[in-house]
Amino acid sequence: MGEVILACEGLKKRYGDLWVLKGIDFEIERGQTKVIIGPSGSGKSTFLRLMGLLEPPTEGKIYFEGKDVYGSGLDLNMLRAKIGFVFQEPSLFRHLTALGNVKLGPKVVLKMKDEEAERKAMDALKTVKLEEWAHHYPAQLSGGQQQRVGIARALAMDPDIILFDEPTASLDIELTWEVIDVMKDLARRGVTMLVVTHELGFAKEVADEILFMDDGRIIESGPPEELLKNPKTPRAREFLRRLIGGV
Amino acid sequence: MFTFENFLFLLQGVPNTLAISFLSFALGFALGIPTALVKQFSPFGLGHVADAYISVMRGIPVLVIMLLFHFGMAGIIPVFKSAFLSATFALGLRSGAFQSQIFRGAINSVGRQQMMAATSLGMNRWQAFRHVILPQAFIVALPGLGSEIALLIKDSSYAFVLGVLELTKYSDIVRKATRSFLYPYLIAAILYIMITFPVANYLDRLGSRLKTKYGLR
Ligand SMILES: Nc1ncnc2c1ncn2[C@@H]1O[C@H](COP(=O)(O)OP(=O)(O)OP(=O)(O)O)[C@@H](O)[C@H]1O
Ligand SMILES: [Mg+2]
Repeated sequence: MGEVILACEGLKKRYGDLWVLKGIDFEIERGQTKVIIGPSGSGKSTFLRLMGLLEPPTEGKIYFEGKDVYGSGLDLNMLRAKIGFVFQEPSLFRHLTALGNVKLGPKVVLKMKDEEAERKAMDALKTVKLEEWAHHYPAQLSGGQQQRVGIARALAMDPDIILFDEPTASLDIELTWEVIDVMKDLARRGVTMLVVTHELGFAKEVADEILFMDDGRIIESGPPEELLKNPKTPRAREFLRRLIGGV
Repeated sequence: MFTFENFLFLLQGVPNTLAISFLSFALGFALGIPTALVKQFSPFGLGHVADAYISVMRGIPVLVIMLLFHFGMAGIIPVFKSAFLSATFALGLRSGAFQSQIFRGAINSVGRQQMMAATSLGMNRWQAFRHVILPQAFIVALPGLGSEIALLIKDSSYAFVLGVLELTKYSDIVRKATRSFLYPYLIAAILYIMITFPVANYLDRLGSRLKTKYGLR
């Protein structure tokens, strides 16, 4: 078995009176790709934000490479730098070019020299096939290109894992493909990925495991062929029927 | 009779008007950004100090602050012996409070998502502000800053009361010397417009242009 990069135990999150996460146990090993599916409002984004250390849990523990993140006085920013995050919402820094976006983290957080950060950033932009767009501002890029820059921005930090929160949910179909292709490519290269997505083609092709989330819990998980063909829980069966049927 | 010579004489007030306005703007900028950040983060509970500063500056007429500095406090604080500096500091202090409000609004308009993206890269709050939030907030703030400069240029005329030789004071001198009541002030009014309009208008347009370029709201 590989090394567990990110894990959680009994993870719960409450906003006001609303328990959004009701106890989640999860782990992902180096090189794995796991996909989360589930109905709107089930807590997928919240789970991802917690695992990305962007918000603290109400209860439960998160482990990064075996260390209890909130329990042992670790420098959260140092850990965040090792966990890439690609958001659903447009999140590029709007005052910076694609290149500027990608090299900011290496420069400011990893303290790289300008040329080194730039080389790193150009490599990452090449990986997402956007080197020719390096000097364009986000406002001049399509939604799909913006998401790929977002992926490059995460990649340039040499993260141990990248979390994706429905990176194609707000894109047209053609733009979705270009983003999904890049993500498949990363998965095949062995980048560790935790992805919320309803692109089942992506899940079938590259996921080691699919997790079905409902009402703040992971109620079913398994390899894609199994979970997609023979969901055990009625909730998952219903959800997949609607998703595939497009109803 | 108001003559061309009178006009040229009156023009001599312009440099001081410009100096008071731009120096007080710079002072206001230097005070406004930290005040906005203190309000945002309230380090060591200092948020209330920022609030108090803003309320006080909003509540006192700037002319009263000038008089207080120059006539009331020159004994304690020697720089206030200078009418010019008293006026500049009074305007600068008030501008700091106003500019902090402009920056606060601009910072809020940049949005949580940008902060979250910066945090996800491992930036601390200061790094995120310095590299992500403030540059965008500054662009959003440009039109507001334009209005603030215009306000300072106009309100620098209060320095006249302290005897500073700026545009309003010069027009008053000319009025007394020529007994022409209309032209000195009319020319002054036109000169004020000629100074405020291009500055405010330039910052407005620069703001809109950059907002479009960067897709800011
Ligand atoms: N910051 C917050 N404050 C209060 N409530 C929140 C917050 N974030 C999420 N919620 C609530 O938590 C619930 C789960 O939201 P979340 O965004 O995690 O769901 P999701 O599975 O990602 O849904 P979607 O598929 O629509 O993106 C929702 O009811 C939402 O309103
Ligand atoms: Mg979501």
